Amino acid sequence: MTGFARLLLHSLKRARTLLVAMAVLLAGFQALLISYANSIRISNTFDQMSATVPPFLRELMGPSFATMMSFRGIVCVGYFHPVVMGSLIALTIALATTPAAEIESGFMDLILARPLARHWIVTRTIVLTALCASLLLGAMMCGTWIGLKMLVPSDAGWPSSDLIRSLAINLGLLMLCWSGIAMAIGCASKRRGVAGGLTGMLALTTFLLDYLGRVWKPLEQAARVSPFRYYAPFDLLLGRRLPTGDLLMLASFAAVGFALAYVFFSRRDISH
Amino acid sequence: MALSTPAISLRHISKHYGKLKAVADLSLVVHPGEIVGFLGLNGAGKTTTIRILLDLLRPSAGEAFIFGKDCQKQGLEARSLTGYLPGEMGLYPDLTGRETLELLGGLSPQPVDKVYRGELCERLELSERDLHRKLREYSTGMKRKLGLVQAFQADPPLLILDEPTEGLDPLIQTAFYDLLVQIRQRGRAVFMSSHTLPEVERVCDRIALLRGGELVLLSGVAEIRKLAARRVQASFVEDVIVPPLPPGIELVERKPRSWDLRVKGNIGPLVRILGSFPVRDMAIEEARLEDVLARYYREGQHRKGEPREGEQ
Repeated sequence: MTGFARLLLHSLKRARTLLVAMAVLLAGFQALLISYANSIRISNTFDQMSATVPPFLRELMGPSFATMMSFRGIVCVGYFHPVVMGSLIALTIALATTPAAEIESGFMDLILARPLARHWIVTRTIVLTALCASLLLGAMMCGTWIGLKMLVPSDAGWPSSDLIRSLAINLGLLMLCWSGIAMAIGCASKRRGVAGGLTGMLALTTFLLDYLGRVWKPLEQAARVSPFRYYAPFDLLLGRRLPTGDLLMLASFAAVGFALAYVFFSRRDISH
Repeated sequence: MALSTPAISLRHISKHYGKLKAVADLSLVVHPGEIVGFLGLNGAGKTTTIRILLDLLRPSAGEAFIFGKDCQKQGLEARSLTGYLPGEMGLYPDLTGRETLELLGGLSPQPVDKVYRGELCERLELSERDLHRKLREYSTGMKRKLGLVQAFQADPPLLILDEPTEGLDPLIQTAFYDLLVQIRQRGRAVFMSSHTLPEVERVCDRIALLRGGELVLLSGVAEIRKLAARRVQASFVEDVIVPPLPPGIELVERKPRSWDLRVKGNIGPLVRILGSFPVRDMAIEEARLEDVLARYYREGQHRKGEPREGEQ
């Protein structure tokens, strides 16, 4: 086994408890949403539920509001619920700042004192975040399908597999984008706390910017710098195809982040 | 790797952090089969130098080589010939000792001889039971022992050790010194930083002393010891008058029937002087390395005629 593979395996082992717990939670949340959506479907109270939504939220969601207030819409909520998105991005940031944590603890000294090129550290972290994101999104999709199969009859208006896959792919690329940003910051930082905090603040700021850009015209252009602008789950719910341009944009954010991470990490001094 | 190739060669290495000079124009050579002690007060630049050798830090100027391999341009080749013990071990507390050794051993292309590793563990009193315990249960000394095993386990031709005996009990320290002597006999080079002067005196062939990032002393231990003044106490059967003393002999304290002297260099002239007096007893204390080094720590200046090798 190569040094890279050994290091990747070590990092996966370290993250396994958190990953398994999060995968179970997310899959469970999906099943719970399906159960909830099914109970509304049976009692046919979607209209009553719509009436409880504040007008500004209706306006924000636009034409997708009606789709949202359906069985299909509620089943898909898990893929764009702020808490789910926040948790996934937080985990991504934590994993992507692994190099900073290893520098801080002094473990990086032991790794890099071996004949292991620095770029393998960055590559390991990219593979680690990509694998973990895939695993979690896979768990969510499994939770969705197992929940639908077990709790809801097939003629109840299930979301299509294309829709679920598109939501997962778009969310996965959003996570990869934030992993790129976190890695670029993490590979230039001495402390994981600083890198994680900074990326977290950036994520929150750009999330709010995207939100404001959607409701307030003057900020619409500025909101284009926000990665969240390129994740449009409501459009997907309305039956639009997976937008290639948005995916490319998110992939570009990620690629620039990863490239910067390679450059910063190869040039920096390793000192804690 | 040719036998004549130095294990370590530092050529005019400098490292600046803004206006702060961590290391300034440091040149130094360590040969295979040699143990060199790297001394200096805290912040003198020892760890910075070590980290430059491992390409953890990039020098502001100069070049560093390990067995002729440029530490920055050919870092992988250079580090494949090196075992390293850091001053502070950044270990994962939820790994066992064995898992840590396996992980770190597996990051090097050189296979780890498990028999040799077993011998190392035995010598440093790290039992099989200890190796199966999580590191969070390890004491400071046990972590240090594990650090030594991971540095030595691939039997590299060069060992770079940062404060290797910090936290080790005296018995394990002795076992470690014996290990150093053994690997030196096998032609391995050791470059170790230390604050423990008796340790340096015991195991090192040469000493390099840094002060404020500058090399102020580089010499063999035996030569440095010669620089140290020996304390001589002489007592007489009757009152004596002190004659004029030649250079190198200093009278520290005089009583009517005893002298307390400090002698630098050859003791012959003093013996000749004392031969003409009614000596009752004479005691000579061995020269102490730390007397010389303490002076360098304090003053840190080059003295004409005193040993200081530069680039070799």
